[in-house]
Amino acid sequence: MRDFTEDQLERYSRHILLQDVGVEGQEKIMDAKVFIVGAGGLGAPVALYLAAAGVGKIGIADFDVVDLSNLQRQVIHFTDDVGKLKIDSAAEKMRAINPNIEVDAINEMVVAANIRDLIKGYDFVLDGTDNFSAKFLINDACVMEGIPYSHGGILRFDGQTMTIKPKETACYRCVFKQPPPANAVPTCSQAGVLGAIAGMLGTMQAAECLKFITGAGDLLTNKLLSFNAKTMDFRKVNIKRNPNCAVCGDSPTITELSDGEQAVCDIKK
Amino acid sequence: MKFYQTADTLIAEQDQFDLDVNDFIAGKIEPVKFKAIRVAHGVYEQRKEETYMIRIRCAAGGITPSQFKVVGELAEKYGSGEVHVTTRQEVQIHYVRAENILRVIRGLNVVSLSSRGGGGNTIRNILTPPDSGIDPDEEFDVDPYAIALTSRLIQEPDSWNLPRKFKINFSNSKADKSYTQATCLGFVALMKDGKKGFYVTCAGGMGAKPMVGHTLIDWIPDAQVYHVARALKTMFDKNGNRRSRTTNRIKFLWKKIGEDSFQDLFLEEYNKIKDDASLALNLIELDNSTVVESSLSVEVVDKPEFEIWKKRFVNKQKQEGLFSILLPLKLGDIEHSEVNRLADFLENFGDNTIRCTRAQNLLLRNIPEKYLGNAFNTIQKIETLSDRASFIGQMVNCTGASTCKLGICLPRGLSSAISSRLVGSDLDLDRLSDFKLNMSGCPNTCGLHHIADLGFFGKVSRHNGKMYPGYNVLAGAQLAMGDTKYAEKVSTISSKAVPDFVHDFLEDYLTKMDSVGSYKEYLEVAGIDKIKSLCEHYKDIPDFDDDQSSYIDFGATKPLSLEEIGTAECSAGMFDMIDVDKKLINLHNKRLSEATTEEDEQKALYKVLFSSSRMLLVTRGLDAKKESDAFAMFKKHFIEAGLIDEKFGDVVTLGKLNVVSELVNHKDLIVELSAEVIKLHKSMDDSLRFNIENKKVAEEKSVAVDEITFKDFRGVACPMNFVKTKMVLASLKGGDKLKILLDDGEPINNVPNSVKLEGHKILEQSQETEGHWQVLIEKA
Repeated sequence: MRDFTEDQLERYSRHILLQDVGVEGQEKIMDAKVFIVGAGGLGAPVALYLAAAGVGKIGIADFDVVDLSNLQRQVIHFTDDVGKLKIDSAAEKMRAINPNIEVDAINEMVVAANIRDLIKGYDFVLDGTDNFSAKFLINDACVMEGIPYSHGGILRFDGQTMTIKPKETACYRCVFKQPPPANAVPTCSQAGVLGAIAGMLGTMQAAECLKFITGAGDLLTNKLLSFNAKTMDFRKVNIKRNPNCAVCGDSPTITELSDGEQAVCDIKK
Repeated sequence: MKFYQTADTLIAEQDQFDLDVNDFIAGKIEPVKFKAIRVAHGVYEQRKEETYMIRIRCAAGGITPSQFKVVGELAEKYGSGEVHVTTRQEVQIHYVRAENILRVIRGLNVVSLSSRGGGGNTIRNILTPPDSGIDPDEEFDVDPYAIALTSRLIQEPDSWNLPRKFKINFSNSKADKSYTQATCLGFVALMKDGKKGFYVTCAGGMGAKPMVGHTLIDWIPDAQVYHVARALKTMFDKNGNRRSRTTNRIKFLWKKIGEDSFQDLFLEEYNKIKDDASLALNLIELDNSTVVESSLSVEVVDKPEFEIWKKRFVNKQKQEGLFSILLPLKLGDIEHSEVNRLADFLENFGDNTIRCTRAQNLLLRNIPEKYLGNAFNTIQKIETLSDRASFIGQMVNCTGASTCKLGICLPRGLSSAISSRLVGSDLDLDRLSDFKLNMSGCPNTCGLHHIADLGFFGKVSRHNGKMYPGYNVLAGAQLAMGDTKYAEKVSTISSKAVPDFVHDFLEDYLTKMDSVGSYKEYLEVAGIDKIKSLCEHYKDIPDFDDDQSSYIDFGATKPLSLEEIGTAECSAGMFDMIDVDKKLINLHNKRLSEATTEEDEQKALYKVLFSSSRMLLVTRGLDAKKESDAFAMFKKHFIEAGLIDEKFGDVVTLGKLNVVSELVNHKDLIVELSAEVIKLHKSMDDSLRFNIENKKVAEEKSVAVDEITFKDFRGVACPMNFVKTKMVLASLKGGDKLKILLDDGEPINNVPNSVKLEGHKILEQSQETEGHWQVLIEKA
C-alpha cells in the first residue's frame, strides 16, 4: 500500500471518507494517467478538478494562446494570461492547485498524425475540443488504442456527453456516423455559449473520469446525456453499439486516421 | 560544604559510560541506545548535530562558589564558555563535543558535582525556593530536607530507571514558591503544635497535558519525608506506564486509576516502611551566617544607581544584618570569566552563598550590609540585567529551538525583543517587580508558562498555508499551598507581535493597577478582554511573498520550518530499544522474503533471530554486551523460564554459536519465533510485567490477544479520525482486528457508525476512566 503523508491524508480526506472511493480509490487516482485534449472551456474545469483530485499524471494538449474572449468560460486562464500559451497557463494553475501531480503540457495541435502517440500509455482521455472533426478524430484514435474516453460538447445553452469504452460500449461514431459538412454547423466560438455551461459539462466529464478510475458507480456508457440550461431539462437517451460502425464495428472500414475536412474553426477573431 | 553526596557507584558508572561514548563515536552503538544511556547521565543532544549539553545537579538550587568556578572552567575548556542556569535551578554546560563529555563529567567529580539523573527517567533535581532559610516569612528552612533526600535517593539504583522522570519540590511556606502542585511530589513546610512537618501533594505536572497536584497526606512529621518519597517512588516504579511515552508521568497514573486506588497503592508501600525510624533522613542544618575574611576592605558607594539597585535587587534576610541579592542574568547565561569574578567575591562569605532560581537567575545570600557596596561594584563589572527593573530579569524563557531539539519557537529571541521593547518605553516597570512573564517554545512547560501571570507557549501558525511562528497567550495563574490554579489559554498571536502586545497589555494594567485590588481582579474586570482585543488587533500578518519578516522568528535567520524539530530527548529510556528490535525484526523479515541469494537469506535470518532474542531482555533488567550473550540470556530467561516454547531452544543455540549456514534449514521456526516474541510483548501490561507466568497460560492468552493493531486517535478531530481509521483498515486483511482510541463527544458519536456503514464490525466499545473511548473493530 502507498504511504500517505499527513498532508496527503488531509488533502484527500473527503475522497477517503467516501465509501466508494476510500483509501484504495484515492491510491488508484494517484496512480492514474489522464490525457485532456484542449485547454479551453471544457478542458479548464476538467484539468482543475482532476489536478485537485490528485490524478498522478495529466497530459494536456493545446496549440492556442489565451485570448481575451476565452476568459468568459475558460476559467483556468486569468486576465494576466492573455497572450500566453494556453497549456502554460493551464499547467501553472494545475500545479498551483496540487504540487503533487505531474503535468505534461503539450504545445501541439492534436491531429491524425500525432494523436495516437500522444494518448498512448494514458488510462483515460477527455475530449475538450470545440469542433466535430476533432471529436471524430479523438473517438477513432481512442477506439484504435483501446483507451476509454469521455466525449463532451457544448453550444449556446446546451450540452451533451457520453463515456466510451472502446469495443465494449457504443462509440461516438456508432451514434453520429460522420462529421457534418464543414461550416454546416456553427461551433461555439461562432454561435456563442453561456459560460457556465462549459463548467457544467466539464465537471460532468471530470466526474466520469474519476468514476472510471475508482470504479465507483455506473459510467455514462451506452447513454447520451444532454441538457438544456434554459429549462434545466436533463435527458438520457439509450444508445447501442452499432455492429456496422465504421471504426468499432465488426468489420471496420476506418483503419487509419484522417483529419477530416473541417479541421478547426477558421473564423477566430 | 556540599549540596549533596554523590553516589558511591558513580565512578564505576562513569567508567562504563566512557566505554559507551567511545563505542558510540566508533559507530559500535546505535544512536538510540546511546541516547538512552547518555540522557540518564544528564547529557542531551543539541540542535546543532553532534554537540551535547550537560546538566549538572544542584540540590535545593545550591552550588558553592568553588564548585561554580569549576563548572565555569569546564564550560570554557570544553563548551561554549558560558554557564546556563535552568528553570529547574540547575546549571548546564552547552555545546560539548562527544569526545569531551567524559572530560567534563570527570572534571565535575573533583568538586563533588554530578550530572547523573540530569535527564531520563530518573529522580530529577530536587527544588526549594531560593530564599529558603533566609525568608523572614517562612515556616522553616527546607533546604536540609532537599539536600538529604537527594543524597539518599541518588544512592538507590532503582532511581535511574523509573517509568518516567520523577520531580520533587519543597516549599518553605504556604505561599508555595516552589509550585509543589505543579510537580510529581511536593512538600510544603507546615508547623503543627510546634512541630515541623509537611503538607504533601502529588501527581501534578505541567507539560502539554497540565494537571494540578492532589493532596496525598494533609500533614506528616518531618521525620517521614523519606518514607513518603520512597513509598511513592516504589509505587510509581511498579505501576507507572512504561509503554506510552506521552502518558507515563505519575500524574497520568492518578488520572487513570483515580484517587482511591492511587491512595491504596501508595499506602500499601508506605505502611511497609513508615514505622522504620532508621530510614529518617540525616539532616544537616545549613549555616546562614557569615564569617568575613578580614582581608576584604569595605567599599563605600555613593551613587544614585546604587540606591536604585538596592531597592530593586537587595532584600533583608531573617538573619539580622545579612542581605540577599538577586543577580538577574541575561537569558540565564553567565560567562566563565564572570563566574570567576563573582565566585571570588562570594568566597569571602562562605560556601552557602549561591542559589539558582527558577527564573534562571542567581540569588546571592549571606552578604553583610557593609559589603553591599563591594557587591555592587563586583556586579557592575559583570554583564547582567542589574541596571534594569527587576521585571526584565525575572522573565522566564526556555532555551527554545536553538538548543532544544523539540522547540518550535525561539523564546530567547522573543525575551530579548520584549526587553528592548519595554526598556525603550516609558512604562514604570518597577511597579511590576513581582509580575511573572513566562514563555516556552513549545507546549512542554520548560518556560513555566502555566504558572505565569502572563504566559506564552510556541505554536505553529499558518497564513495562506505558510507556516509562521506563533504563541498561545495564557493568563491568571494562582499559587498557594493546596490551592494552585494554572494560567488559562486566552488567545493566540504571532511571535512578531508579542513585544507590542506585552507593552500594550502592561500599559493598560499599569493605568488600572491602583483602581483594582489585585492582578486577579484586573484580569476579571478588564485584563482578559484586553488580551482578546489586543490579539485581534495584532492578528493580521502580511503575505509571505510581500514580507517574510513575520515568518522568521526572533533570533532566527530562516522562515519557520518543522523539518529540524526532533523527538523528545528527555524521555529516552532503555525501553526504546524494544521498539528498535521490533522494527529490525519487521525489516529483516521483509528482507528475508525478498532475498534472492542464500547469503542474503542467511544474513536476514540471523538478524531476525538476534533481534527476537534481544528484544525483551530489557524487561528482565538484562543488557547483553555481546551478541552471543543476547542468545544465552534469552534462552535462560525466556525459554527455560517457560515464557517461550522450548522447541525454539535449538535454533537460539545455533544463533549463539553463530552457525549461520544452518539457519536456512530452520527458516519457518525463526520466523515463528519472531512472531511469538512480538506476541509476548503485546501480552505484557503497561509496566511491562508479563501477565502470564508460563507458556501454557500464554497460549490461552494469545487466543484472546490475537494480533490486534492499535492506534491512538485521541486529539484527532472529525473527520480526520475516520480518515485515519480507514487508512489503517486499508492496510489490514479481512478478519483482522484494529483497536482505536477516540475522544468523547463527536468522535465517538460518529466514527464507529461510519465504520459500521462501511461494513466492518464493531466488536467492543468502552469508555475509559480518562473519558476517552476504546473501540475494537474487525475488518470486513
